[in-house]
Amino acid sequence: MPTETDIITGDRKTDRGFQTPEVWAKITGKAIYGIDLKLPGMLYGKILRSPHPHARIMGVDLEQARRMPGVRAALAGDELSCKPFGMVYKDELPLAIDRVRYIGDEVAAVAAIDEKIALKALEAINVDYELLPAVFDTEEAMAPGAPQLHDQHPGNLAWQRELTRGNPEAAFKTADLVVEGSFSVPQVHAAYLEPICCVADYDPYGGLTLHTAVQSPDIVRELVADVLDLPVSKVRIIGPVMGGGFGGRVYGNLKVYIISSLLAIRCGRPVRMQLTRQEEFIAGRPMIAAKIRAKLALNQDGTILARAVDLITDNGAYSAQAPWVSKTLSERNDSVYRIPNIRTTVRLVCTNKVPTGQYRAYGNQVGNFAMESLLDMAAKKLGLDPLELRLKNCVKKGEVTVHGLRINSCALSDCLQAAADEIGWHKRKPGRGYGISAAIHAGGSLVFDKNMRGASAYARLEYDGRVTLFSGEQDYGQGTHATFILIAARALGIEPDQIIIYSRDTLTSPFSIGALAMRQTTIGGKAIQLAAEKLREKIAQTAAEMLGEPVVMEGGRVRSATGKTLELSEIAADYRFQTSGLSITGEGKYVPSESAYDDTGYGNIAVAYSFAAHTAEVEVDRETGEVKIIRIVAAHDSGRILNLISARGQVYGGVTQGLGYSCQEGYLFDGGRVLNDSLADYRIPTALDVPDIMPIFIEQDDPEGPFGAKGLGEIVMVPVLGAVANAVADALGIRVTDLPITAERVYQAIVEWECEQ
Amino acid sequence: MQKEQICFTLNGETIEVYTDPTISLLRLLRDELGLTGTKEGCGEGECGACTVILDGMAVNSCLVPAGKAKNRSVLTIESLAKGDKYHPLQEAFVEKGAVQCGFCSPGMIMSAYALLQESSEPTSIEIRTAISGNLCRCSGYKQIEEAVLSAAEKLKNRGESG
Repeated sequence: MPTETDIITGDRKTDRGFQTPEVWAKITGKAIYGIDLKLPGMLYGKILRSPHPHARIMGVDLEQARRMPGVRAALAGDELSCKPFGMVYKDELPLAIDRVRYIGDEVAAVAAIDEKIALKALEAINVDYELLPAVFDTEEAMAPGAPQLHDQHPGNLAWQRELTRGNPEAAFKTADLVVEGSFSVPQVHAAYLEPICCVADYDPYGGLTLHTAVQSPDIVRELVADVLDLPVSKVRIIGPVMGGGFGGRVYGNLKVYIISSLLAIRCGRPVRMQLTRQEEFIAGRPMIAAKIRAKLALNQDGTILARAVDLITDNGAYSAQAPWVSKTLSERNDSVYRIPNIRTTVRLVCTNKVPTGQYRAYGNQVGNFAMESLLDMAAKKLGLDPLELRLKNCVKKGEVTVHGLRINSCALSDCLQAAADEIGWHKRKPGRGYGISAAIHAGGSLVFDKNMRGASAYARLEYDGRVTLFSGEQDYGQGTHATFILIAARALGIEPDQIIIYSRDTLTSPFSIGALAMRQTTIGGKAIQLAAEKLREKIAQTAAEMLGEPVVMEGGRVRSATGKTLELSEIAADYRFQTSGLSITGEGKYVPSESAYDDTGYGNIAVAYSFAAHTAEVEVDRETGEVKIIRIVAAHDSGRILNLISARGQVYGGVTQGLGYSCQEGYLFDGGRVLNDSLADYRIPTALDVPDIMPIFIEQDDPEGPFGAKGLGEIVMVPVLGAVANAVADALGIRVTDLPITAERVYQAIVEWECEQ
Repeated sequence: MQKEQICFTLNGETIEVYTDPTISLLRLLRDELGLTGTKEGCGEGECGACTVILDGMAVNSCLVPAGKAKNRSVLTIESLAKGDKYHPLQEAFVEKGAVQCGFCSPGMIMSAYALLQESSEPTSIEIRTAISGNLCRCSGYKQIEEAVLSAAEKLKNRGESG
């Protein structure tokens, strides 16, 4: 029997400013974040960290700490039998055995009845170290005779890659112009405002529950189960509200989860462990630092012929995802333009410094800084307008890029034009500098786990006619939940306020890779759409059977050809009685087609690609070197915008983070010691640092994304770095090639330039 | 440190607590009084997430010893909504999309509250200055500024302050 006869039509009018009810909990102080949780009998865990960048552990004496009143457990690495773990390399242990490799390395841990006693207990632990020579600079670490960090990484090379596409040597030989540059970018912290906190609870039946907010709870769950040798079904992660993530909380801090679990298992009581802000900086997982040597070959008319990159990234003491981040950093920018010939060398080098992880945009923004700087250097030499140079070379819909990315929707040239027009590219104000930069970012990675390319979701019709969605994707303020509800509302033809979503419990949510790789809207949202469509189909089928005639579902109820109507609650009730208690559910599984991704990394890596072009207007004080950002125009192609209010928020916030990256932020070291390990010394932008930011959305439907949408959350910060660097160079006539572009750096560049003249 | 009796006004109600006066007001509020709306982002006075109003002034409660609250008035985020009626600042924060992860929001709203007590028609720069001690990593502050402007307007139209 045909069940439903109408087609789902797009109703766009509700899609401009929807927020979930959780927002009210947040602004009244009622939302429960990780740091707010308390469980009965809860203990407080603390970690003893290495004060040395490289040392052999000769002994750890826990006896005195264990004897202190109020201390319930003290642990050191040599008495644990955990497997080494890591996302790419299994190079970490929960607590160090034999050796520490950076200042901050986890050596011992305690659990006590309050925080004060736990801290006192740390002081009572005696560790006998034998100091080893340490290495902090990537080039020195690669030199013969350098101290070695890991047996599995001879020469301290954690990862390397050599890649050639086309014939770059020939292209560089025959090109009219070759421009070269060396660039450097320091480690940067995601600086989510809520420090990482975990309450681990081990129940009497052998089940471990972690109350902690991470972007990829399912991945963390499997990893924790593996390290602790627990059945994965016995490990559950329940996420409280998350105080920011930005990629820094994809796996959060695995050490914290594992160590608090070990203590909870040992004590049989819940253990709460919260990082201090200093611990976040010295032992969190900041974004890798990079040294980039790059060159670009062009013809006189501005056609790009080839690009060569020699990238050295600073792994720090342990790898986390540094190889993958290095890969993205080294190549993603190659796909912004048509570049037929590529030569790339990457060396990821271990040093006795803070281990690294990832941050929003996964290194793409760092590559953007180098590539877009080079383009402007070329434009200057060729006497071409930087805008025209980009318009001439930028990728277009229907093209396949040099690395095999299939561009099925692309409004990059429109973005470039819009960003330039809005900033007044051709109506420049005297004394100001203008810069432009373009970006591509993969929206929904297919290759992060080639066996797990998509996402799934459930939608359930409740007895009262409302709908509950179950998803494994995470919302940490970027608006995923609101967007998913809007997608389901459109697919079901009901109001968003009739829908709620659960995503924060691994027991009830479908498995997901998590909130990374800009996959939430594109992949997770598509699964929601499919689940809601399936639910709609089943509701209509049930109603058609009840009424004995075909029906249409509209306006939150079902109507038959002869005009009979049924409320959703009536259909749910009928189904419940027919099935002795079941609910109508829709399962959505989105399985994107397999990518022909080869060993060289050639192939389509994502469901869709988002594009952006930003322009920056700046003023530079030549006396002091101070850079004043006047305005950023951020033009984005993220397909259809599903929820304008959060899309705008993503742009304002992401651009601001990009400005921090460009002009303010970056780790400072003295040897292996982090010098700016507080929010006073590591300065993220305040309300007084932020210029006028203008978001522009060029809305064109993507053929694959849900209702034509593509991802936005990561690409928002990518072009900022290049645009700011180019604007400063435009204002000064001198280029700063090391981030952050602080007043000191600019002043120094001016002085050096004057000396050369 | 010896515990002592501290009497102060918390969200309009006179209360008496028996506590170590050297712990921070933030600890007292969160750990002993269960008011977890006030957040701890750094514990060092750098992020502003713990902002409360002490005798009309926005302060970082992590830097104020609990003993300093003695005989004074403390307002926290929990005091702003009256029953199911939200404060105009709270309404405006939601309407303008000023809340993303929301961790900074309570402190941010309290700083804005203190500003609106002082100035009923704040300029953009006054707003930015007033919240410059409140870090937000999500929003870029734009929608927060819009929200405070909008709340000021609402309060003016209602003929109220703060």
